[in-house]
Amino acid sequence: MSKPIAGSSWIRNLQRNKWIYVMIMPGLLFILIYKYIPMYGLIISFQNYRPYKGIMGSDFVGFEHFQRLFTSPDFWMIFSNTLILFGLQLLIFFPIPIILALMLNELRSEKYKRGIQTLIYLPHFMSWVIVVSISFVIFTVDGGLINGALESMGFQRINFLLSESWFRPMYILQVIWREAGWGTIIFLAAIAGVDPQLYEAAKMDGANRLRQMFSITLPSIKPVIVVLLILKIGDVLELGFEHVYLLLNATNRQVAEIFDTYVYVSGILQGQFSYSTAVGFFKGFVGLILVMGANWLAKKYGEEGIY
Amino acid sequence: MKRTWIISVLAASMMISACSSGNGQSGGTNAPSTNGEGNPAPEPPTKISWVTPLHHAEVPDSRIEELIEEKLNVDLEIQYIPAATWNDRINAAMATGNLTDIVSMTITGGNREAIRDEQFWEIEPYLDQFENLKKLKPEILDNTRIDGKLYALYQGRPFSRQGLIYRKDWADKLGLSAPANLDELYEMLKQFTENDPDGNGQQDTFGLADRGDLVSGAFNTVASWNGVPNEWGEQDGKLAPAFMFPEYMETMNFFRKIRENGYINADFPVTSKTDQQNLIINGRAGAYIGCMCDVQSLYTGASQLNPDAELDVHNRVVGPSGEFTVLSGPGFNHPYLFPKSAVQTEEELLKVLAFMDSLMTPEIANLLYWGVEGEHYNVVDGHAVPVSDQGKLDREVKPYNPLEVGEPTTSGRLEGKFDYAPAQKAIELFADNEPHVVQNPTLTLDSDTMTQHKERLAQIITDATYNYILGEMDEAGFNNAVERWKSEGGSRMIEEFNEAYDQLKS
Repeated sequence: MSKPIAGSSWIRNLQRNKWIYVMIMPGLLFILIYKYIPMYGLIISFQNYRPYKGIMGSDFVGFEHFQRLFTSPDFWMIFSNTLILFGLQLLIFFPIPIILALMLNELRSEKYKRGIQTLIYLPHFMSWVIVVSISFVIFTVDGGLINGALESMGFQRINFLLSESWFRPMYILQVIWREAGWGTIIFLAAIAGVDPQLYEAAKMDGANRLRQMFSITLPSIKPVIVVLLILKIGDVLELGFEHVYLLLNATNRQVAEIFDTYVYVSGILQGQFSYSTAVGFFKGFVGLILVMGANWLAKKYGEEGIY
Repeated sequence: MKRTWIISVLAASMMISACSSGNGQSGGTNAPSTNGEGNPAPEPPTKISWVTPLHHAEVPDSRIEELIEEKLNVDLEIQYIPAATWNDRINAAMATGNLTDIVSMTITGGNREAIRDEQFWEIEPYLDQFENLKKLKPEILDNTRIDGKLYALYQGRPFSRQGLIYRKDWADKLGLSAPANLDELYEMLKQFTENDPDGNGQQDTFGLADRGDLVSGAFNTVASWNGVPNEWGEQDGKLAPAFMFPEYMETMNFFRKIRENGYINADFPVTSKTDQQNLIINGRAGAYIGCMCDVQSLYTGASQLNPDAELDVHNRVVGPSGEFTVLSGPGFNHPYLFPKSAVQTEEELLKVLAFMDSLMTPEIANLLYWGVEGEHYNVVDGHAVPVSDQGKLDREVKPYNPLEVGEPTTSGRLEGKFDYAPAQKAIELFADNEPHVVQNPTLTLDSDTMTQHKERLAQIITDATYNYILGEMDEAGFNNAVERWKSEGGSRMIEEFNEAYDQLKS
């Protein structure tokens, strides 16, 4: 990368670095075609969109759909459900891959470590349908494994699947089971990049493994953790439609309905594309604010941030 | 800072060029090519595309499709969509203008608006030209009308196939006969649970296997036996939704009681149809309420695990009123519509209708429904008897069934006959149900609120019903849900339907 030349025109800069720009072209094109151009469709959230009339032919209605969303009696329920699930993801799920990666790093046998890594990646490749079906079989009241065990130990059966209070634990446990192993990849890579001289120096100073972990490994991968945290926050409202929809039922709707499932029922199923888009728009907006906030906070505390 | 500027300028200029070239291309590929290939044959085959739901795991073997193409000189392009994602896919196809010449679709919700907006051909003026199509039953065609206009052809279905399937061997052992009323049904479920019907000395059976579907599961059928109207009913001369009738509450109490006592699978609101059927098949539950047509597959499964298992079907269960009433469908499966975006001229429409007309000849109708004679079915006493290889039928014939037009009485298709007696009895009971069916009076009525908020509003009541049955909600709670339903659009829906209803009556 060349240093910016003071006072020179950007054309000269462009000429000098033209191959670099050519090289980033495919990436830029990808983002343009698949991320930016489709945003044109957001227009329909201000329209009374009718599929057969097209975007050009539909009538504009201004903020009507947003009004309908914010005045909907379910809005706050959905909003808070979404945020709570997000909070659980952040507080409970997010640290687990880090801890796992640190633990894997302490394993001495390389073979054993690789074996474990492969095993914990596996659940990631199962679809949510399978994960939820498996837990259905395990947790059902009629002949489920867990309830059978509870009963044989003299406890009451618990209806895990049809209960408001069990939805969130079930949700987060399934997320951990499926994603925790996969999440370790980046952290392991970051740990592998830590300068071995630091450990050697620490050993000389008499630091034990635990001390090394807290004083060298963790501080070294902190920038990675911060970046991933910010990215995670960007996905705030991507809680997995499929997953939540599969867990959703009449008894847990009060805690389980999130924006995605709400859009599916009141939007897609009824062909109300404009309303669905308005909700999606709002969702994206909240995500944007959170990312910018997190980035600002990270910078304020002296970290790199993502931009 | 400067570098970022350059990048964004570059990006912007590229976006513009990408946009314009993209538009130019997509604009050109709009029109569907309808003219045939340069074929030297005297009459090139008519190209016909059709999008249809697939109720099986795989797209069928194309043999029957080829036979039809050959016999009718058409070039068929059938697009299969898994039935589970049917509605959203049709919506998406409509949004992108990718509809086929013939579309099998529902005529509720947003689709209704599109139909009303003249996106589909009105076919009434043409029907008389076609020998077979004009035989279609007017009372069923009427059920597909929108604002009194006819847009759709249909595949006929018996009005009501609802009934009870139960373990005959268990009932015999316990000295029970088929339940004639709800009290006897309750007694049957109770004894199936408590009196060890399978004789293994353990209390490991229960009465009713149900699934998380109030409509086609057990609930609505039991409700209709109990005298609850079909979705909407008349109360003091006004239309009111079914759940405002006292019988609805009684039906919920019935279910609440059987669940409290363990006579039904406790997890039924989250049980799938497969799991529900497995409960019968592996001998854990003894009763199944829903489509009596399921008796064949239930028996096939159950007899493999336990050769002594016997099933029977039964339809007449009466509620406190003493009169037998049962839930009814509209008499058709998916209606077939013809979008103007794909069928662009009247001439093309006539060709497509001629094709539909020829599907109603006995030869083609049998081919679509039963398959190839001698290979998939045999004719015995003027009835079609399918071969016993269910896997072969599922692979080669069954997925074509949703393409049938009309029903045996209008198309001359053979009626089926089953070797398995209860399956044959089920068909007879469909006919026995017919004089007692309760129709949904709002089927052809219109309500804007219904069109826009149907799913969301229905969910309030469905949730409340489950919660009441599970004992999570009391009567006051249920009434609160009804009030919520009213305030979120239900009241308007009632008004709109009554307005339309009054107009219809006058």
